[in-house]
Amino acid sequence: MSAIISIILGVLEEGLVYAIMAMGVYITYKILDFPDLSVDGTFPLGSAVTAVLIIAGVNPVLTLFISFLIGACAGMLTGLIHVKLKVRDLLSGIIMMTALYSLNLRIAGKANLPIFSQDTIFKNAFFKTVVPKVLQPYTMLVLLLIIAVIMKLLLDGYLKTKSGYLLRAVGDNEVLVTALAKDKGTVKIIGLAIANAFVALAGSIYAQKSGFFEISTGTGTIVIGLASVIIGTNLFKRKPFIKANGLFKKGITVKATTAVVIGAILYKACVAVAIAAGMEASDLKLITALLFLIILVVSNGRKRRVRAGD
Amino acid sequence: MKKVLSVLLVAVLAVSLMAGCGTKGDSVTIGIGQFAEHGSLDNCREGFLAGLAEKGYVEGKNLKVDFENAQADGAIASQIANNFVANKVDLICGIATPMAQSAFGAAQDKDIPVIFTAVTDPVAAELANADRTPVGNITGTSDKLPVEMQLEMIRKVLPDAKTIGIMYSTSEVNSVSAIEEYKAVAGDYGFEIVESGISTTADIPLAADNLLGKVDCINNLTDNTVVSSLPVILEKAAAKNIPVFGSEIEQVKIGCLAAVGLDYYDLGKQTGLMAAQVLSGEKKASEINFEVIDEAAFYGNSAVASNLGITLPEDLVSSAKEMFDTISE
Repeated sequence: MSAIISIILGVLEEGLVYAIMAMGVYITYKILDFPDLSVDGTFPLGSAVTAVLIIAGVNPVLTLFISFLIGACAGMLTGLIHVKLKVRDLLSGIIMMTALYSLNLRIAGKANLPIFSQDTIFKNAFFKTVVPKVLQPYTMLVLLLIIAVIMKLLLDGYLKTKSGYLLRAVGDNEVLVTALAKDKGTVKIIGLAIANAFVALAGSIYAQKSGFFEISTGTGTIVIGLASVIIGTNLFKRKPFIKANGLFKKGITVKATTAVVIGAILYKACVAVAIAAGMEASDLKLITALLFLIILVVSNGRKRRVRAGD
Repeated sequence: MKKVLSVLLVAVLAVSLMAGCGTKGDSVTIGIGQFAEHGSLDNCREGFLAGLAEKGYVEGKNLKVDFENAQADGAIASQIANNFVANKVDLICGIATPMAQSAFGAAQDKDIPVIFTAVTDPVAAELANADRTPVGNITGTSDKLPVEMQLEMIRKVLPDAKTIGIMYSTSEVNSVSAIEEYKAVAGDYGFEIVESGISTTADIPLAADNLLGKVDCINNLTDNTVVSSLPVILEKAAAKNIPVFGSEIEQVKIGCLAAVGLDYYDLGKQTGLMAAQVLSGEKKASEINFEVIDEAAFYGNSAVASNLGITLPEDLVSSAKEMFDTISE
């Protein structure tokens, strides 16, 4: 395998894990218009829960579901703090994130919990025997792709239900929700629960992929999530993305969830390229910030042009 | 927009192409990932390169070194490890526990040997078996603190002291296990340990004020967070005339009274020699047990001692590996 292929493989793997997390951030940031910082805590929460459960002998696949549920509980708490205790959105996320830092350390018992010697969803006897040796480097990617696609389809499906419709309405027009005689608070809580469930699931997968839980992996999750969402959604803003032409009869439209997945992969690709190009890790955050800015400015510019044309 | 994007895309592809085209000949390429930036780990890296050079692997000649620092960010550490694996380096050196684990996780089943160093407890980190044998294609050196020798030294310097304050970050496994060990043996030397756990650098000033009000002296571990803010603690301690003991040479250099500690340069060098064995094909990483440095050396700072009005015992000073007479910034 050439170096380029394995770099791409690595980027796709990392990107897909973070794509699941980014879909969660998409729900809060784009749909609910709620800047939810609790993800910095729920991502390692998923990792911590998974590491502890796997060591206790729980089936690695089952830990995915448990992490999902526990993430949902954490998200629900953020929602309750915001809705019932009337704490501002940004602050309720910060409160939850801070609380989860200690909680994660309590759950794992320590800051770093290895599961190298345990079976995971990626590394187990089943794959070793069933998958031919040549294909083994690709099992992780295929598995991640399957999980990411399932989660994306589930989210797409959910957004089409009545509850999903209300979720979108809360972000766009709260009055409408009230007019429909629905409690917008409950809708927000549900949205936060789903979002953080996605994030914790990503954390669970991340721990199984890297082979250990480490408290410091949570820091900056929200930045990666926001970057993925912003890159993805701005990139594919135009509908259809490719206009109808001879090649594509109907043109190509990209769903927002797909855009977010691609955004996450692109973000990871940028980081990988930055590191490969000899950029210091200490400069990476600056690169991220610049990338953010460029994409936001470019997409704003387009909006202005459209308005001027009206 | 489309134009901008396509230019970006081309640039991305071009860079990744260039990154992929490392030429291999007689020379070997190694990736060194360092988890955080501070004196001990930097010394470790220099020692590592010196050890390699001693065995004929000289950087710039027949050794290409790809060095990355994760700046204490776990996600970056894993990205760095993945990049090393993707670039097919001949060997990865992981400095400090999270970096070593990331490297091992990424290189597992990829036939790239991993050498770790500055990992306090390789067994707890699942990087080695309890009998010191490797768990895979990985070996290295541990920087376990010589706890008992340190306590013995503190007793000699401060015959009347009763309590020792230790500050550590709750998020660093190495520190947590060191605290446990200190608590277990402190009684044998007539000390009581007062611990103070912190989460971030920002907690340090308050925690230091609180701790300094309760103890006769402070003892420092190799805790990455605390060490990087050591000057803050030293300044506050100096104001109250409370001695601060260190755990290695760099800490004494910048103003700790004394330390019985490892020489991280030596530790790195020992690790470099092991890496050379692996690179030359003499042994596989999976055949070498992890090593610890058994010798610990005494370091003292006479400038700090005179500021505190303490005389360091003659026998310690004469046995010192290095004495400092200034406090470097």
